[in-house]
Amino acid sequence: MSTVQTPMKPASPSRYLPRRKISQGAIFVFLAAITAVMLYPFYFMLKYSFMSSNQYLAKGGFSTASWSRLFAAIPAWREMENSALIAVGAIAIIVVASSMAGFSFAKIHFRFQGVVFLGIIGCMMIPVQSIIIPEYVNLAHVGLINTYLSAILVYGALGTPFATFLMTVYFRGLPDEVIEAGLCDGLGYGQVFFRIALAMARPAIVTVVVLQFIQIWDDLLVGLLFLQKPGNRTITVGLGVLSSGRVVSIPVLMAGALLSALPAIVVYLLFQRHLRAGLTLGVSK
Amino acid sequence: MTANLLERSEPVTPRRSVLSKARSLKASRGRSGILLLMPAALVVGTLIAIPIIQAIYYSMTAWNGITATWVGPSNYLTLFRNPTFWRVLENNGLLLLAVPVAIFVPLVIAALINEKPFGWRVFRSLIFLPTAISWVVIGMVAVRVFANPGAIDNLLSLVGLGFLRSDFLANPGTAIVAVAATFVWSMVGTNTIIFLTGMATIDPTIYEGAAIDGAGRITSFIYLTLPLLKRYFQFSFVLTVITAFTALFSLIFIMTGGGPNYGTTTLEFFIYQQAFSQGAFGTGAMIGVVLFALLFGISVIQLRLLRGEH
Repeated sequence: MSTVQTPMKPASPSRYLPRRKISQGAIFVFLAAITAVMLYPFYFMLKYSFMSSNQYLAKGGFSTASWSRLFAAIPAWREMENSALIAVGAIAIIVVASSMAGFSFAKIHFRFQGVVFLGIIGCMMIPVQSIIIPEYVNLAHVGLINTYLSAILVYGALGTPFATFLMTVYFRGLPDEVIEAGLCDGLGYGQVFFRIALAMARPAIVTVVVLQFIQIWDDLLVGLLFLQKPGNRTITVGLGVLSSGRVVSIPVLMAGALLSALPAIVVYLLFQRHLRAGLTLGVSK
Repeated sequence: MTANLLERSEPVTPRRSVLSKARSLKASRGRSGILLLMPAALVVGTLIAIPIIQAIYYSMTAWNGITATWVGPSNYLTLFRNPTFWRVLENNGLLLLAVPVAIFVPLVIAALINEKPFGWRVFRSLIFLPTAISWVVIGMVAVRVFANPGAIDNLLSLVGLGFLRSDFLANPGTAIVAVAATFVWSMVGTNTIIFLTGMATIDPTIYEGAAIDGAGRITSFIYLTLPLLKRYFQFSFVLTVITAFTALFSLIFIMTGGGPNYGTTTLEFFIYQQAFSQGAFGTGAMIGVVLFALLFGISVIQLRLLRGEH
């Protein structure tokens, strides 16, 4: 990505090179050990999900029995579909709301803008646990508990403040001339946004989508409270309920854990550059 | 500003009409600006801002989710007199002790990756990978790691400390340490990436000057790199504290269920227990407000420190 070209170094003392090689080797070994620790859960899930319960106790063997038992114990595919549906719905809300608001904050100047900006961005600091009880009661009042819509709305709202911050920072980086050129061509701000700015914001939108997908896919609390019927649970909730239930075979749990983790891992591997960028965007601004 | 530009660029038209044109442009700009804000304001307003105000109101009532009777601010005194609340707050304090570890370990890892040894991109990818998996999955594996027999047990036997083997999640003293250790492990990826990003912003030529002055690699790391990473330290600190206080619900839910005997119940888990297991919605809302106030306080102190030095 950004390989820094270091200038050719002047001839270093001959003693220096071997020492540097040794320290590079030591660093490699240390990082390999850390990586092994970080990858341990993946190893654990892979190894034990392909054992039957008896093989797990006997510490050896290979079997796909636990995978069949997983699909018998919970409607895993249905739960994956639920997760996907809820993530897509919530991300749609977040992308629409945050890109429009981000453009407005960054490129249009009007009264009370600063206050509204602080109000929306400030909501980033409100922990979900602090609002979850009134939220639950409110949504119960309008009869939305146990509907996909309740989870979609809550995830959509929770993701919007940070996404708006990210989009605002991104739009601020776009030159004003592009917007002014559009305005001079007789376009309104709305048209400039939809026809010009949105197309230029694609990298930022991808970052928002990837960050939110992983966040929503992995969440337990909101799903646990707002989707209590077995048929509309997300995979993470299904797994959480399965694991807190009566004694279930560990290989079955590991099969479920691995299955639930796969989509997020794939998204991570495809978009890790966007994830890294999104993570530290707030630091320098 | 734009209005002034327009005024000057159209000298032919009479002044008054330009002014009114500029005024109408300004009005239309304000309208578009507000229209574009509507979806975000609506979603955040109804689903976050109103609930936090409700939470503050309900925190001063006795509330079972249906009927709320006003008690007033004295409700908080009842909470502060409750020994369980202090037991729970102590657990938050213990997690806070893990925060420096969750920052220092990734700092070392980032510094080593930044030396660009063979395969550093692969290390960076794989060390960051666990951030993609849910706390539920992490917790499910962590339960087996700390169980008896488990991976930690085997490790202890290996180094000759086999007498320490135990079921770490069954004892309140060790259970919170197990949760904290899992939390530290989970922060490694995120914080490593934060520090690596910070180190990438440092101009490499400053190290050449230091090397000429005879500074070693470790000296220049301490006296050059660390001060330049200040903002990244602050960001990582805030993020790590917020995670410790608000993101461990699922981990605790899976690993210990808050037990044994409140040994791993933190404020965020206490909210869930009070409201959804015991039906004390008012108490739950109140702890939610306390948690929000705590985080708000920490963030404000951070901002002050940041501003004060500029």
